[in-house]
Amino acid sequence: MIRLLERPIVHFALAAATALVLPLVLRSGTLASEILIYGLAAAACNLLLGYTGLLSFGQGIFFGLGSYAAGLLLLRAGWPVLAMLPAVALVGAATAAAVGWLSIRRQGVYFVMLTLAFSQLFYFLAYTLSDLTGGDNGLLNVPRPALGGQPLSNPWTYYAFVAVLFLGLFAALQRVALSTFGRTLLAIRDNEARASAIGFPVRTFKVAAFAISGAVTALAGALHAMLIGVAPLSNIEYHTSETLLIMTIIGGAGNLFASVLGAAFYLVAGDLLSAIWPRWLLLLGALLVAIALFMQRGLWGLIERAAALVAREPDPNAASADATLPEESRP
Amino acid sequence: MTYLFQILNGIGLGMLYFLLAVGLSIIFGLLQFVNFAHGAFYMLGAYLAYTMVERGLSFWLALPLAFLAVGALAALTEAVLLRRIYAQAHTFHILATVGLALAVQEIVIIVWGPIGANLAPPDSLSGVVILGDFIYPEYRLFVIALTALLAGGLWWLLEGTRLGAIVRAGSEAPETMALLGYDTRRINTAVFGLGAGLAGLAGALAAPIRGVDPFMSVEALSVAFVVVVVGGMGSYAGALAAGLAVGIAQSLMATLWPEGARLMIYLGMAAVIVTMPRGLFGRA
Repeated sequence: MIRLLERPIVHFALAAATALVLPLVLRSGTLASEILIYGLAAAACNLLLGYTGLLSFGQGIFFGLGSYAAGLLLLRAGWPVLAMLPAVALVGAATAAAVGWLSIRRQGVYFVMLTLAFSQLFYFLAYTLSDLTGGDNGLLNVPRPALGGQPLSNPWTYYAFVAVLFLGLFAALQRVALSTFGRTLLAIRDNEARASAIGFPVRTFKVAAFAISGAVTALAGALHAMLIGVAPLSNIEYHTSETLLIMTIIGGAGNLFASVLGAAFYLVAGDLLSAIWPRWLLLLGALLVAIALFMQRGLWGLIERAAALVAREPDPNAASADATLPEESRP
Repeated sequence: MTYLFQILNGIGLGMLYFLLAVGLSIIFGLLQFVNFAHGAFYMLGAYLAYTMVERGLSFWLALPLAFLAVGALAALTEAVLLRRIYAQAHTFHILATVGLALAVQEIVIIVWGPIGANLAPPDSLSGVVILGDFIYPEYRLFVIALTALLAGGLWWLLEGTRLGAIVRAGSEAPETMALLGYDTRRINTAVFGLGAGLAGLAGALAAPIRGVDPFMSVEALSVAFVVVVVGGMGSYAGALAAGLAVGIAQSLMATLWPEGARLMIYLGMAAVIVTMPRGLFGRA
């Protein structure tokens, strides 16, 4: 049972099942599309956090940039969707490589602070260049052109388009994570000094991880702009970076499907709770503290525990949970 | 002359940034704890000062009260919650304090509403000073004077007193301090309270200049990060120099290119990182 949960093909099957089940359980095609789009961006965030050990507060940069690039290419340049997507991925990869290259010049908490500062940089850049971005109002009237004669204007047709891209990119991210490259990222995460001593060009690998993550995040941003018909300033704001990171950690770092789970949890909880209580983020804040204290492996950790209980196998979290137990430092 | 005016403005702003960043820096130095809720404490200080003055309390009382209240609240949070997370990876320090900051932001919206407010400077400082053909608000001069005094006092506290020696020793060798019989947990709580209290005071001082709003915390947090990245974490001189540099750069740019003033802070930071990856005073 536990072994099964570790197999990549199972994760892909779960992702495919999610894409199939969402239309059955949700009434809103927009919410369903949003779950896949944010799930994709969170999985890309996970490639950095869970696989490379880089906690990036700059994912909103690439998401927002993807939205703007998509909007400009579709609206002003009149590009077809299929030409726009690779261009957006390229913009995302190039920007992420640059931000990554600068940020990894410092390590640990400095790195995290730098990514956050860069996210502010791009926010103010977008705010200042209002001719391109529409400033505070966002880039309005982003079209959703037909794809090979098939209009995407219906929410569920668009969902099908998003789902196909989602599964393709999810599989691609899995391939990256399972490749020699991905295994090397894990080595860097676990012991950077050792990986470097063996002779791996650690910084090149980190920049490459940033580029891949940035490309996928930008694509997610492009899909989001097409979904809501606007490339809003909020997509490049600190808040988006924070949200993507929260989704990733709620789901569980180090497992790509867990990120989809985290995104789904965040968006569905937000959808339900915000109708009852607009200040539901207060509860989310409390949940984050609880996760930091009690369930560091996120929702996926809970699933593993439940599976272990059902199969009466030893809890896979037990060993690692011991190591992270809060240690009371009594003199 | 306008440049001189803007530089003076920048010094005031920069000293506030220094207060904000030095608190973050002290906390990290001693506890190796990244406090993403630091901006939230800044915001709480601003709102508490705003409410106290609105309710008729003197601004002169509101300032120390904001410092004490935010400091006490932060110390309580540390003792009840955050100290349980120290042993874990930085990721979870960040997650917990991001959660805390989010909760504070929502509480502020519940209590004070989603729209910001302005706070007038106290009557005794609402005038202007005229120096030749040069007009300057009294309140901003007061901020410069007070923060300079505080910076001196803080330097004395950290470098010249027994408490400062304990704090510095605690950040170098916490186990040895514990072995020597110091109650490191109480020291940790006190330092966390002091650092957050300084953020609260910075917020209270900034309130008459920039007003209060529920989203001021993110901006404050990221500016504090820039100051710390540029100046070097744990470096008092670095926080002071970088705080002033950021403040003055922002003020000067405000005349040259108003929309891009805040953008320039971050571009400047990127330039420093490219040329001096360790920051101006960085050791590690």
